[in-house]
Amino acid sequence: MAGNYTAPVQVLIDELGRLPGIGPKSAQRIAFHLLKVPTEDATRLAFAITDAKARVRFCERCFNVSEGALCPICNDDARDTSKVCVVEESRDIVAIEKTGEFRGRYHVLLGAMSPLEGIGPEQLKIRELIARIEPEGIEEIILCTNPNTEGEVTAMYLARLLKPIGLTVTRIASGLPVGGDLEYADELTLGRALEGRRTVD
Amino acid sequence: MSGELYRDTGVVLRTYKLRESDRIVVFHTAENGKVRAVAKGVRKTKSKFGARLEPMSHVRLLLYRGRELDIVSQAEAVEPLSPMLSSLDRASQGLAAIEAVDQLSLEREPNPQLYRMLVGVLRTIATTPSTLNVAAFYWKLLANEGMRPELDRCVRCGETEPETPLVAFDLNEGGVLCRSCRSGQAISPGALEVMREILGGRLVTALAREESPTTHEVASLATRALEFHIERRLKAVAMFETH
Repeated sequence: MAGNYTAPVQVLIDELGRLPGIGPKSAQRIAFHLLKVPTEDATRLAFAITDAKARVRFCERCFNVSEGALCPICNDDARDTSKVCVVEESRDIVAIEKTGEFRGRYHVLLGAMSPLEGIGPEQLKIRELIARIEPEGIEEIILCTNPNTEGEVTAMYLARLLKPIGLTVTRIASGLPVGGDLEYADELTLGRALEGRRTVD
Repeated sequence: MSGELYRDTGVVLRTYKLRESDRIVVFHTAENGKVRAVAKGVRKTKSKFGARLEPMSHVRLLLYRGRELDIVSQAEAVEPLSPMLSSLDRASQGLAAIEAVDQLSLEREPNPQLYRMLVGVLRTIATTPSTLNVAAFYWKLLANEGMRPELDRCVRCGETEPETPLVAFDLNEGGVLCRSCRSGQAISPGALEVMREILGGRLVTALAREESPTTHEVASLATRALEFHIERRLKAVAMFETH
């Protein structure tokens, strides 16, 4: 396709094509859409990108995305500092915050251990998590990584590392989604749901 | 060939994220060798078979044959995955096993022997913890590939024990060497004995051994021999060796 468009258009298509989930055809469609819309709209998008890139960084404490040195959650004095929820990505924090069930702080690992891709503990923010325990007086660490192989391996590795330090290490439960059907549940999830059953009060 | 449904049984070797909520799943199957298939919507929490298509899962499949990638239509568990994810040791051994199979398995090249070996090793890892599970599997894989190491006589001069002690192992030569011909790396009599057990039909004896410098020697030699054969580094083993 190279060389078919004037240089600026081709550059735009190439740059858009580097975004996740966008192939050459989608890139072309978006590029021509941008060329068609009023200049203000396109400028607003360009500004939003540069502004976000310039102002947003990782929280120094928990590696959540943040505008300042600390993210809004770390800055919130009303939060319980003794509990820390460990997640893989910043967007997981948003999901947990929506539940309204957790009032502690977070720690973002920025990924999960993936032995098959060679992503080990050194590439994640694990050392930084250990360093937080003492100064912040953390009593409980909730392992909230994804319930897939990579997330489980990460959780087990962290549990092995954290248990000897002498704090409570918990793992989020696995169970059936609300609104789901028992008969369509897979045996691993259903098995775990049974394992983690509790008495009805 | 494309556009038809077929059944097979396989073990998940790897998965890659695709688009919003799909995954590309790589299987080693009983009848079709390595198969790459798209599993739609499996990353959503409500997916019917998402949990069955994690690495190391052993599943019965209904697949739709496509041009490049097949499509997973149904997946049923043959064996539960839960024991593999119940401890870090099991998970890491299982991952090390599937990584090796991923390297050796060829696309659409039936290799039922490799499939049986993989299912066997996963079962062993789930039921009988042993430090040598992965090493024994690697040696057996090499033997199956036609790269069975010579353990009983010097590969260069043909001398045998007990008259001539065999003291070295050379990956290039594919076997042990006596003192006068030696090259490669040194091998202890204990490690040699364990390797003879693994490849000589006394696997149970070898797996029952306690963790020791000898088992470590056998394990690291197994990894190096397999890496030498596939001409690539094995990532999963390296990661857990250091921790």
